[in-house]
Amino acid sequence: MTILRLSKLATRFLISDFRKGELTILIAALIIAVACTSSIGVLSDRLKRTMTNQSSEFMGADMVVRGHEVFSLSWLEKANQLGLSHGRTVEFASVIIANDELLLTSVKAVSANYPLRGRLKISDGGIVEEKFAEGIPRSGFVWVDPRVLTHLKLNLGDSVEIGEKQLTIEHVLTYEPDRGGNIYSLSPRVLISEQDLEATGIVQPGSHLHYREMFNGTEKQRLKYSHWLKPQLTLAQHLVDINEDRPELGSALRRGEQYLGLTSIAVIIIAGVAIAMAARRFSKRHYDTTAILRCLGLKQNEILGLFGMQLLLVGLISGLIGVGLGWVLHLGLFHLLESLLPENLANPSLTLLLLGAATGLAVLIGFSLPAILQLKSVSPLRVLRRELAPLPPSAWLVYISTAVTLFALITYHTKDLESTLIIGLVGLVSIALLSLMGATMLKFILRMLPHSNFAGRLAAQNMERNPKASNSQILAFGVTLMAMVLCSIVRTDLVETWAKQLPEDIPNYFAFNIYAHELDGLQKALATNNIKTSHFYPIARGRLTEINGTGIREVSKKNRQTERAAGWLYSLTETPSLPEGNRILHGRWWNNSPPGVVSIEQRTAERLGVILGDQLKFTVGSQQLSVTITSIRSVRWDSLQANFFLILSPGTLDQFPTTYLTNFYLPDHRKAELNAVSKVFPTVTLLEIDIVIEKVKTILKQVTAAVEYILIFALAAGVVVLFAAVRASLDERIHHGVLLRTLGANRKLLRQSHLIEFFGLGFIAGLLAAAASEILVYWLYVRILQLPYDFKWQFWIATPLIGAILVGLAGLWTTRNISKKSPMTLLREL
Amino acid sequence: MNKALHPPTMINTKEPIIQVTNLGKAVQTSEGVLNILTAIDLTVQPGETIAIVGASGSGKSTLIGLLAGLDLPSQGEIILAGTSLTDLDEDGRAILRGKYVGFVFQSFQLLPSLTALENVMLPLELAAHQAPEDAAKKLLDRVGLAERITHDPSHLSGGEQQRVALARAFATQPKILFADEPTGNLDSHTGDLVIDLMFELNQEKQTTLILVTHDEHLASRCDRSIQLEAGRIV
Repeated sequence: MTILRLSKLATRFLISDFRKGELTILIAALIIAVACTSSIGVLSDRLKRTMTNQSSEFMGADMVVRGHEVFSLSWLEKANQLGLSHGRTVEFASVIIANDELLLTSVKAVSANYPLRGRLKISDGGIVEEKFAEGIPRSGFVWVDPRVLTHLKLNLGDSVEIGEKQLTIEHVLTYEPDRGGNIYSLSPRVLISEQDLEATGIVQPGSHLHYREMFNGTEKQRLKYSHWLKPQLTLAQHLVDINEDRPELGSALRRGEQYLGLTSIAVIIIAGVAIAMAARRFSKRHYDTTAILRCLGLKQNEILGLFGMQLLLVGLISGLIGVGLGWVLHLGLFHLLESLLPENLANPSLTLLLLGAATGLAVLIGFSLPAILQLKSVSPLRVLRRELAPLPPSAWLVYISTAVTLFALITYHTKDLESTLIIGLVGLVSIALLSLMGATMLKFILRMLPHSNFAGRLAAQNMERNPKASNSQILAFGVTLMAMVLCSIVRTDLVETWAKQLPEDIPNYFAFNIYAHELDGLQKALATNNIKTSHFYPIARGRLTEINGTGIREVSKKNRQTERAAGWLYSLTETPSLPEGNRILHGRWWNNSPPGVVSIEQRTAERLGVILGDQLKFTVGSQQLSVTITSIRSVRWDSLQANFFLILSPGTLDQFPTTYLTNFYLPDHRKAELNAVSKVFPTVTLLEIDIVIEKVKTILKQVTAAVEYILIFALAAGVVVLFAAVRASLDERIHHGVLLRTLGANRKLLRQSHLIEFFGLGFIAGLLAAAASEILVYWLYVRILQLPYDFKWQFWIATPLIGAILVGLAGLWTTRNISKKSPMTLLREL
Repeated sequence: MNKALHPPTMINTKEPIIQVTNLGKAVQTSEGVLNILTAIDLTVQPGETIAIVGASGSGKSTLIGLLAGLDLPSQGEIILAGTSLTDLDEDGRAILRGKYVGFVFQSFQLLPSLTALENVMLPLELAAHQAPEDAAKKLLDRVGLAERITHDPSHLSGGEQQRVALARAFATQPKILFADEPTGNLDSHTGDLVIDLMFELNQEKQTTLILVTHDEHLASRCDRSIQLEAGRIV
């Protein structure tokens, strides 16, 4: 038979099956899987890119290249060609002398369009009177940190000398969007125009300058440029994106993405169960047709082609509908989130939509292949002897085909082999556990039911007649309910944890550059004003010079990442107890450890390429500090608390000059109280982080909304599975029901027995789902999401009840015709 | 060499259309080996009509299944249209069936997904017929169902379904028609009408007819009867 004829026949079969409702469940499950994958894919991608764009104001631009050298002209030309706008800052340390006082400052010369994202804030009085600045300092003028005025006893309108250039102080600078991780800097900021840079005479060969080349443009332009530029950068130049620059924002985003990814997998698995069951029924319903076709001369491969083509058509059509639906759904969500989102959303990616359709096809093929292959082995003799069923597909084939599909899908979402293997292993263990517990509970219930009424005994007989089918139904319901429970538990906790993590009174001020002699006074002053502070952390600024006795330059020659982390000026602190939000991953936190040991943040350790026991040497001021790594920590950056890369054991900083840092919460209406404090302690820097808190809150709100939205998919997919599983055994039930009705059973009895059976199955499945979810959630929280874990007793009550009701209703609805239609009509439908 | 690729294309009309030698079929049961058919020898000439009769369980359906190449014997040989069935694999037998064999079953075995017309067109399409629709329509007209061609099998009566099955069986002008209790599911009046039609078509198309039946009257209309008892010809 030619392919054309075969495909014509396949189409004809498909239309007929579709009309009779045979394909409804398969199509519904596929559409849900595709709509879910594509909408979540597009949604999280767009959210992520939009938020990255938003977050870019914390870098002062969309993209930044940092370095110590002047940017090559040809590189700027290339940026220009690509349509990127460009700005630049040059930073250097400079001592200012005024009124017989010396002050080391950090001077920043900026181009006219600085900052490319976000705005500067200035004030002509205290921190409370701050306002957005228009542009940058004009030539001949300078904006300075309040400490410059207090330390050098200067006022607005006075002159200062920077290098060889006299400049007039115009405003007090209170906020730079791109100050970033540099907030603990000891040196107060002095902002000048790029035009005045040369006149200062500071830019000389060999002078130590930090260049920040800033670029704005569309994502496409930036990507093109970074691809072009990256290979040409020197070791000392770095292209920076937001995830690296602001870990507290990146972390909130990552967690949200992780959840969306996990839920996506859950939805796909649930839909996969429905697809596998629907495909099995599809295959079973076509045994007779296959036998006739074999009689009429169709070869085995043609049979495979015929039904394979039908499934492929179903996959393509459902894929298209799913993609369309996914598109509409993601637009719907964006509409819901309109008030939260910025005006300029990143464009959706078409590739991700198509990837959703591809996922659908992969799930369809992976989960239905064994059932379709089975059709190939239907004997033509079945036309004479209907009881001849084909051999069931090899168990290995079923397992391998399902496992390969799941493995590919999970890896796609986790993008990490280890997580995939862990999820796979946990999945296997939970399925084995569910099967075992299901079989045990079924036996127990079967022992109880014969003592009930006639309907109960019939239900027991029904379940007992085919224990394998009953067990697989319990497993299907159980896995589905478990996935639904997991999605909702994690969602609830995630939202609650976020809410807890960012309470109304989260510290919104950081106070730093507090000198030791000011500590007592400041503490008292804040207490008098009823301002509660957190711990006062001593801070010393140290530059890493050696790792295990090898100079950092030597080490960094081998590893660019190391070079980068090594170049930073680290804020070193010490504290006796592990700060909240920190977790020891390797080694031990100190209990009365002597001075000289350090706990290092995990990513910093990776960048530096160091492990437990390694020696780090820092230069702090003019002194040397040697410490040994005794623990590696994870840090919750999105907690917005004072977080540190390096924490030293108590006493280590005793011989070093330190300042102190603390944070506290002050509501908007009490901000004026700070003016009094800052007048008494003029050298203390106060930094308000309301903007960052707002940004993180917005991100969390967005992700929460997305998370709730996706839960709907999980629920919808779950309902489809329930119907698929019930339908899978429908033919046998019709047969049995017809026999009973022929023997005189009335409709009420049949309905009662169905009700008991389905409620029973649903209840057992629910109980199993609660148990398995509890175990999984524990693992998920502790290992993956790093959230605190609580025992969820409510789910132990709710899940079996919901299971019983859902499965019971789905069962009653699907079997309603058995008690309604005449036995003859039913038999003809078989 | 693929056994499926070389069924014979020409039939010598002087040769028997079916030649069965020492045919046996045994199955393994929990109580040991059960012989369903034993030492069957049978020669069928082209155009002959033969009734296979016997009590339930005598092996009639097993024999027809073996003769049509739907199953393989445990021993002996069947030569159908000049080709030994035991020499062919399953696909080879499928090709042979498509080319030479037509079927009529007790339970009609129409494809529920297809209309009456599509059911009849199917074997024609499989045989790459030039104008399957026209040929199918003519046949349905011949069996008196010209008005019902767009109906689904479930919307046809038993007699009508069996007439569609007849039209389908004769569509490719098979050399041999196997009919398994063709009136088994029909009342006697409808059954008679269907049988009349079958014999008429058989005459027209010069088909060899092998019929399994309980009905002695029906058997008497055939050229000869083969009586089976406990798997042996008596």
